[in-house]
Amino acid sequence: MIRQFALFAFVLALGACSAPNGPPVLATNIVVTAAASDMPMAAGYLDITNHSGTSIHITNVTSPDYASVEMHETTITDGVARMRAIPALEIEDGESVTFERGGKHLMLMRPLDTPEIVTLNFYSGDVLLLSVSTEFKAMTD
Amino acid sequence: MRTRNLLVAFLLGAAIAAGLTLALRMSGEQAAPLRATVVPAGDALPAFNLLGHDDTAVDGAVFEGQWDLVFFGFTHCPDICPTTLHTLAQVRKQLAEQGQNPLPRIVLVSVDPERDTPEIMSKYMSAFGDGNLGITGDLEEVSKLTDALGIYFARAPAADGDYSIDHSTVVLVINPQGRFRALFSAPHRVEDFVHDLPLIMGMP
Repeated sequence: MIRQFALFAFVLALGACSAPNGPPVLATNIVVTAAASDMPMAAGYLDITNHSGTSIHITNVTSPDYASVEMHETTITDGVARMRAIPALEIEDGESVTFERGGKHLMLMRPLDTPEIVTLNFYSGDVLLLSVSTEFKAMTD
Repeated sequence: MRTRNLLVAFLLGAAIAAGLTLALRMSGEQAAPLRATVVPAGDALPAFNLLGHDDTAVDGAVFEGQWDLVFFGFTHCPDICPTTLHTLAQVRKQLAEQGQNPLPRIVLVSVDPERDTPEIMSKYMSAFGDGNLGITGDLEEVSKLTDALGIYFARAPAADGDYSIDHSTVVLVINPQGRFRALFSAPHRVEDFVHDLPLIMGMP
């Protein structure tokens, strides 16, 4: 049973452009998972939808629960999986981006503890675009 | 007498018709397309010396005596590797629910032995169920296995001196004689394995 905790999404710099109903940047279907919570790597999956009225650029992601978080993308070509970092991600107004298994994903490296709740902060430069928290889910749960 | 002969003829005809129907159905099942690629004769594995996740030496004999589903990956892989192993764990679960006996074992051969110690492999593999096997060890010995089986892997530098590993995504099926019998290509779907494995495991 997934308990997804209060999802508080907010746009600081884009407030004047925000959509009339609902948060300007919305995260849904959030999953943070790994073989076990104390493994050195975990993956994050979610959908991010931009209703801010302007395009947004996600340049970095942080978490108080992991030493480092990077946006990555897995591609499979000729049967070979390759994972590469995504330096920045643009989401046009009204568009969504999906982080999913075998595609774009968050790579969460070196847990600082054995997190039960994981918080993810998405930034554009120094501006916090979105902050979400979700329960860690072991892959085999 | 004539009535009895007619009855015998009718029963005989019905039996033949039923037999033909059954045979056609069975041949239809056998002819159902396999998602896997089957290696007709089964290729022998090369000689190698590696370590099991319990830190004991393993060689080719480790693949003898049971069916194995073998994946080449690494524990610092956050996406494809755990997703594939989770898929294989689901396959085992569904096969068990269908009464498949014996069940294939899940084996991860690390293509990142520098970071994947037996201790880490043990912890990692136990997350995907009981009876799994993690194999690691000397990189040259891993390469003996991968080269012979056509498995690609290469280190890909990342930021801050870190690295990832590009690697093949196939799952190999090794038979109880320790011979490479079939392979599944990505994307891996539970239903493909559940459909194919009983057929492959029934092959001579």
